[in-house]
Amino acid sequence: MLSAAAGDANSFASLIDPLLDPAYRLAAVMLADRGAAEDAVQEASIKAWRKLRQLRGEVGSLRAWFLSIVANECRMTRRQRWWGVLKMAEIETNPDAEPGGASYDLRQAMLKLTPDERLPLVLHFYLDLPLEEVARILHVSPSAAKSRIYRAARRMRSDLTQEEVF
Amino acid sequence: MSNENFRRQVNDAIDQISGSPSPALRDRVRSSLTSAPATSGSYWIAAVAAVVIAVLLVGVLVVANPLNRRSPVGTVAGPTPTPTPSTPGPSPTPSPSLPAMVCASTQPGAPSSAPPVLFIDSLTTGTHTGYDRLTIGFKNGSPSSVEVQVQSGTTFMQSPSGQTVTLQGTNGLLVTIRGADLHTDYTGSLDIKTGYSGLVEIRRVQDFEGVVQLGLGISGPGCYRWFLLANPDRLVIDVQTS
Repeated sequence: MLSAAAGDANSFASLIDPLLDPAYRLAAVMLADRGAAEDAVQEASIKAWRKLRQLRGEVGSLRAWFLSIVANECRMTRRQRWWGVLKMAEIETNPDAEPGGASYDLRQAMLKLTPDERLPLVLHFYLDLPLEEVARILHVSPSAAKSRIYRAARRMRSDLTQEEVF
Repeated sequence: MSNENFRRQVNDAIDQISGSPSPALRDRVRSSLTSAPATSGSYWIAAVAAVVIAVLLVGVLVVANPLNRRSPVGTVAGPTPTPTPSTPGPSPTPSPSLPAMVCASTQPGAPSSAPPVLFIDSLTTGTHTGYDRLTIGFKNGSPSSVEVQVQSGTTFMQSPSGQTVTLQGTNGLLVTIRGADLHTDYTGSLDIKTGYSGLVEIRRVQDFEGVVQLGLGISGPGCYRWFLLANPDRLVIDVQTS
């Protein structure tokens, strides 16, 4: 961290290396476009490198800080695509993914959500982040983060109870 | 459905949407990081350079403003004993150093240190060998923005009424003076018919919101010159007659 803060790009690359996979998942779900997701992660990495001083050496906050930069980059990418044509993800064939399967239905339901609704779902379910960290990435309070997760989950499946989500 | 069951289904859905990142992503990120500048210092330098260039450009434009093509200001001559159908006033004597006649529209001059509103207090006409003259007198300064437009025909649109008016003559000149007023100190006629061979009629077309427009009905090709005189401040428009 110290050498990264001192301007060593390789150190910074090593620092964020474990975060690239979660960052990519987050971007791919938000953008529903794998190529654009990799571009967003790359761009976010450069922005994070330039803003590293904002982190003030707090390694514990690195993941939330970096993922919030990735989420912002995804929002920016979507704004730039003003013509509004979003490519759907190239979904791999999977027995579970056949129409009628529970996983298929959830995927379809998730793609109907807005990117900002998908974001808390990825953070909470897939990346399994604590509520406080989700809140930091979303720039809201933990209780607001919790209600966003629940609201988004209920939009995918309306009969869900809080206990099934948390 | 249990919590774990729902979580597993959501994660499956996310897996299907996202797939795995390409193996090249790590190298791609590393390579872009090592080639990118650590801070935005270079952008600051570029921004400062852009500001300096902009300031230099503005300076050059101010010094050598291509729009500021004002005619030379001459000296005051004594009144000319020529017939004037409107309010009598001083009229300049023709001088050999006058600007050449032009037959095309001229652009307005750039704003200068003229007062916010100039009060026109006289419209005087005179005829001379080769040209007819309209002299517009100002009470409190010299106009900073004068535009003369040549038009075929003598129909002008009055503002703000939008009604058209047709003057005597065959062609027209529309004189626009910005930052001026024709109703505070001027009490003469607003439709002057001169009876001259070149400049045959002058009529107020607009005197509204600090813009004064005078329509000039002329006989002939519509060649003219304009220039400013001081002590008192006047705008002189000569219309060629031969």
